[in-house]
Parts: sequence; C-alpha cells; structure tokens
Amino acid sequence: MIWLKFKNWLEERYDFAELKKLAKSKLVPRHRYDFLYYTGGITLFLFILQFITGMVLAFYYIPHVDYAYESIIDIVTKINLGWFFRSFHHWGAQLCIVFVFIHLFGTLLVKSYRKPREFIWVSGFILLVISIFFGLSGYLMLWDERAFAAVRVATGGAGNLPVVGWFIKIFLRGGTEVTGDTLIRFYAFHVSILPVLSLLLIGLHVLLVQYHGMSVPVSVENKQKTGEPFFPNVFYKDMMIWLVVLGVVVTLAVLLPPEIGIKADPLAPPPEGIKPEWYFLFMLETLKLFPGTIYGFNGETIAIICVTIGIIFFFLIPFLDRKSNRGQKSRLFTIIAVIYLIYFLTMTLIGFFS
Amino acid sequence: MKLKYSLITRRQFLNTLFGGSLIAFFSGTLFSLFKFAFPTLDKEPDFVVLDKNEFAAIPPNSTKVFAWGSVLGLFLKRADGTVAAYKGVCTHMECNIAYRPEEQKFYCACHQGWFNDQGINIEGPPPKPLEHFEILEKGEKIIIARKGAKVDLAKV
Repeated sequence: MIWLKFKNWLEERYDFAELKKLAKSKLVPRHRYDFLYYTGGITLFLFILQFITGMVLAFYYIPHVDYAYESIIDIVTKINLGWFFRSFHHWGAQLCIVFVFIHLFGTLLVKSYRKPREFIWVSGFILLVISIFFGLSGYLMLWDERAFAAVRVATGGAGNLPVVGWFIKIFLRGGTEVTGDTLIRFYAFHVSILPVLSLLLIGLHVLLVQYHGMSVPVSVENKQKTGEPFFPNVFYKDMMIWLVVLGVVVTLAVLLPPEIGIKADPLAPPPEGIKPEWYFLFMLETLKLFPGTIYGFNGETIAIICVTIGIIFFFLIPFLDRKSNRGQKSRLFTIIAVIYLIYFLTMTLIGFFS
Repeated sequence: MKLKYSLITRRQFLNTLFGGSLIAFFSGTLFSLFKFAFPTLDKEPDFVVLDKNEFAAIPPNSTKVFAWGSVLGLFLKRADGTVAAYKGVCTHMECNIAYRPEEQKFYCACHQGWFNDQGINIEGPPPKPLEHFEILEKGEKIIIARKGAKVDLAKV
C-alpha cells in the first residue's frame, strides 16, 4: 500500500508514462552487424565495475612512495576479500581496454563515425586516450620494478616530442625524474581528474548516441529488418551480456590473480625481458623499427613524430572520409581501417611473443 | 547606435569590453591554476661526495652504485684498474643500465641497448654515449662532478 501511495505521489510530480512510451518507442536497427551495438554497452558496464571496485580499493591504498607497495601487499594479504577486489580491478581494467579497442575498430570498420556523428567519434577517441592513461597511471600505483620502468619510458617518450615534449614530461612526472612526486601525481590523475573527465565524456557520448540514434552501415541500409524495441528486448539482451561479462571478470580474477613484482628501486636496473602492458606493445615495437639516428637526427624523435602523425590521422578520419559522409561506400577508408587494425594486431603479437 | 565619426557602434564597444574582461578573467584563472600544477624543479647536482674506502676498494671489472641526485650513478673499475663514473641512465628511454662483467659492457634491459666500458653506445637503440662524470679525490673522499662544473675542493 505504501508503495502504491509513493508511486502516485511521484507520478503526480513526474510524467513517467511519457518516459515509458519513449523507452518503448526507441527502436534498435537489426542487420548483419548489429552485434557491434553491444560492444559500447559492455565497455560502459566495465567502466562502472572499475568505478565501484576503485572506490573500495581507495579505502586502503596509500599513495606514498614508502607505503604504496606495502599497502597493496596488505590489501591482498590482510584485508577481507582484498585479493579478490584487487584482482577484479586488474582484470576489469584489462577487459576495459580490450573492449574499448573492439568498440573502436568496430565503429571504424562500419563507419559509424560518418556525418552527423563526428562528435561521437571525437568524444570516444578522447575516452580511449583517457582509458590508456587510466591504465598507465593505475599501473604505477603498484610501485614495482616494471611499473617504474614503464612509466619512465612512457613519460620519457612523450619528452621526445618536439617543442612541447619537455613540458609534458615535467608536468606528468612532477619533476625531472620519476620519483615519489610522480606517484602522487598519477594517483591524483587516476582517482580524481580522469574519473571526472571520463564521467562527463561518457555522459556526452551516450547522450549523443541517443540524440542521433543508432548508426546503420551504408552496405546494409536497404537490407534491414524491422527494428527491435530497446525496452524490453534489447535492454534484456544487454543485461544478459553484462552478466556474462561479469562472470568472465570474476573467473579471471579468481583463477589468475595478477602478480606484484619487486618494489621499485630508482637505483636498480630493470629486470631482464621487461615488457609494458600489452596495449603499449605496438608502440614499443614501432619504436624498435627506428635506428638511433636517421641522417643526423635523433631516431626517437622521428619515431615519436611518425607515431603522433599516425594517431592524428586516425583521429581525423571522420573529417577526411568525404565519401561516407555523402552516404556512399568508401573502399579507401575500409582499407585504411584494415591496415590500422592489422598493424595494431601484428605489432602487439610480435611484442607479446618476442 | 553609431556616432558620426566612430568606427564601431556603442554595442560593439560594450561587447568587446565585456568579452575582453571575461577572456582576461578566465585566462588569468587558468594560468595561475596551471602554474600551480606545474612542479618547481629540483636541480641536478653539480657534484656528489662519496667515501673513498667504499668505492676505490671495489674489485676490478665491477661497478658500485651511487645516488646522483634522485637517479642512478655507476662507479666503474675497469678490468685494467682504471676508474670512471657514469650516469647509469640509458640515453635511449632513460631506463637504468647494469654492468655485465663477463662482457665488460653496460646493458639496458628495456630495449636491449649496449655501451662499452668507455660509456660509448655500441649496439641497440641508444643514440648517444652515457653521461660521463669527472672523478676528483681529496683525502678520504671521492668527488664525482658533472663535466665542466666548478667544484670548490676547500668546501667539500
């Protein structure tokens, strides 16, 4: 009874019937590639899981150079279920990056970025950069040998950019070297700056998707079946997939807890065969292709400039792909997308197995 | 409204004034925020003072670690007994290097770079030789100094 009264009280104030109608009238297109619609939802779900597990981990983590490593050891050995939530946050992060990339390349291949959805691409691209920076900053929290070397290389690499490089490097490191100041800075990025930015951008991203509706690939525009109502059909499918994803993360977290290396020592050499996280491997392998000096110029600087140009071109694809903006098939950009995908996959695999 | 000899209207003038003050306000705010976020920098040391007994006595063909500010310094005694001091940071991507006595070379594990015992880059990606320090002695102390830095031995 009290529930009914409360419901009436609310309905007198807010028009829920209208909302319900809206949810039911929203149709999701059905065609050969409609499975790609779920990749964005999965990414969103994984972000939510990261937010929740990150919040509880922040109760115990100490962002100080003398205690950071020890506090993680405490989390996994002394705190109730600490091992589980640390492992969960680790695997959630890995899958987050995996699905960000799947969502990205899916979007690229079916050209959902085309007019009028350029800003969805832009916001998604910034979210990709944020995700990677989330990963790097989260990784440094461990303050073990590998994290220390990885952050030194990554921030040093940014330092190779002409003109602004030095500035970015000092800003990220909080000094000229990677020290305890870098740890605090990365902690601030990881728990306050990046979460706020990503929440805003995810909000904008999802809002824009609602505003423009789901994109339908040019090739199947004439072969669509009638759309499926978002509520309850697609909504329930989303929930089922999310449940499976949750199961996968929990299974990985329980069966494959991540290891913690030896505590970082700024005066010790990194261990043999050290590798960064897998999503940096393509970058590392690209850098290896360049010799130390090219016609008297620093090879690193040239390598970093080439990678930067490649990334900027990738970012600008929606504005360069004129054909699909006119609603025509654009073979050239399909080929470019496939080249990017193959390059990313092969370089990551080479890095992984070398 | 526009006066007869005026280049702009009164509205344009007021808009510029208002817009300009907004821009001034926000750029000042952002600048000070950014200035605060940008760290004040520690200077790299001109020299460090080490204990001679600890360092001069190491066996030939080995290194001993010292702190060069917040980064790694390596004191090397070569196989022929001569000594040298290097910054132990690879010139490629700033990883710490380690001495391999069996090869008499320095090795960087991050991207497989090699330097010989003179600090010269001989293999792999490093673009430059290691930074080489000068070694001065005074009584029971060794002073490791940056090349060209003025060290007042009387004050050490």
